[in-house]
Amino acid sequence: MMNVISNHTMNATIALAALEQVIDPEIGLNVVDLGLIYQLDFDETEKIIYVTMTLTTQFCPMGDTLTAAVRRVLEKTFGERQVRVELCFDPPWTHERISEEGKRFLNQ
Amino acid sequence: MGTGFPQADFRNTPHTAVVPFYLYAAVSLLAGSVLLFLSASLFTGHYFNPGSLAITHIMALGWGTMIILGASHQLVPVLTEKSLYSLRLAHLTFWLAACGIPLLVYGFYKMDMGWPAKWGGRLLLLAILVYVINLFRSLQHGKKMNVHAVYILTAALWLFITAFLGLTLVYNFTIPFLPQDILAYLPLHAHAGIIGWFLLLIIGVGSRLIPMFLISKYQQPRLLYVIYFLINGGLLFYQLSFLWLPAAPLLIPACLIGTGLFLFVFYCIQVFRQRIRKQVDEPMKISLLSVSMIVLPLLTVLVLSGRLLSGEHQLKTVQLYGFVIFFGWITALILGMTFKTLPFIIWNKVYHEKAGVEKTPNPNDLYNKKLFAVMALIYLAGFVLFSAGILLGMISLLQTGAVLLTGMAFLYCLNVYRVWKHKPV
Repeated sequence: MMNVISNHTMNATIALAALEQVIDPEIGLNVVDLGLIYQLDFDETEKIIYVTMTLTTQFCPMGDTLTAAVRRVLEKTFGERQVRVELCFDPPWTHERISEEGKRFLNQ
Repeated sequence: MGTGFPQADFRNTPHTAVVPFYLYAAVSLLAGSVLLFLSASLFTGHYFNPGSLAITHIMALGWGTMIILGASHQLVPVLTEKSLYSLRLAHLTFWLAACGIPLLVYGFYKMDMGWPAKWGGRLLLLAILVYVINLFRSLQHGKKMNVHAVYILTAALWLFITAFLGLTLVYNFTIPFLPQDILAYLPLHAHAGIIGWFLLLIIGVGSRLIPMFLISKYQQPRLLYVIYFLINGGLLFYQLSFLWLPAAPLLIPACLIGTGLFLFVFYCIQVFRQRIRKQVDEPMKISLLSVSMIVLPLLTVLVLSGRLLSGEHQLKTVQLYGFVIFFGWITALILGMTFKTLPFIIWNKVYHEKAGVEKTPNPNDLYNKKLFAVMALIYLAGFVLFSAGILLGMISLLQTGAVLLTGMAFLYCLNVYRVWKHKPV
């Protein structure tokens, strides 16, 4: 849950575990360990999941694909809920957001 | 319900505005290499001949410029943080340039400066104007321009100046109006293109992409601005001194530009040292090699600007200078960057709907790595042999080098075709 804001710790843990399937194809690392996920909010009345995420670089050509993959994975994991993914570049992504696991992977 | 983060306006450039440029460039590389083989013997004589002119323009425009124009349609949003203004203008740039380049090259090859060269030049100038407008409008709205955007816009303006000077020279063949011999103006046209267009663009793009691919901690926009002013200052000094100070020493602009290049190499070394991602793939290695290959044209230009050589040796060095730029530095960079960018563009097209749901291959698996390694080896051997052939004036070396470079171009086309035609697994 490092660096990820959420209003529902348990659901966020499940969501982040599922999002480890979404790999940045250039780097080969998943979006969670890369630190691309900023916020996960669960609206229990409307049954909507709001995801705020970023990209390693603004206007990354993989942006559309990554956001679509995040949406699909969460829809599959949480069944009947809608998923809304928003991109945000403020604050911008920096290498400090990479998890220790991610740093080990990149150091190989 | 919303989040506390400001939402970004995000729109990628579709592959249709990029891929045709890559395919056109691949065919041009093959045509340029075949032409190099057919004209190999000309590299023992004066550089101003139909074969050399045709090869230079097919390499500079069909190969280097086309692929850079296409890639920049994809990369402008990455570099400038703004979407591309118009897809229609991007397509129009392609078609105008695609029709103009063969006409111009044919005109040079046949030394026919009538309608083929003139229409080729006109269409090309129009293509560049459309590109500049598209770029300018893309940068116009939104936030303050960053250093990379400044580089790209300046490079595009130098490209326009290059094409304008080139068309002026073509007109001068049939309607002579320039006070001096055409050979006196060639360096102005050539350096506006080589330094103003290629060098500035490569530094502007490379300074963004190399740290991005290596995930480097090193960031130094101030240094990039220093490099920008050194290179533009040197180039402007060179161009203006031709008009008003013909006796000014060439070493002044050569040193200004050389210092800029030295600082860019220093920037790349720092980026590499402070990278988080330790693994460097083959296309990235060959791109980094091309950065060090900047030294070759710099050395030859320092020799030329010092006016240390005379007669035959001077002519050979000029031939070598052109060759190491177009078949060395620019080609090495593009060979590497093609397989760093094209597989991702095609992967995005093919697997957009499948990512995260099904198992998908890695974009790097879309091209054949063995073919790439063989291509890189053949390329280096061909480059060294042809360069030696120019220096020693040996036709057999020139022909062997050209055969190897043609082989490299064929393998490159094969790998590009493989990526382009990739089907989902």
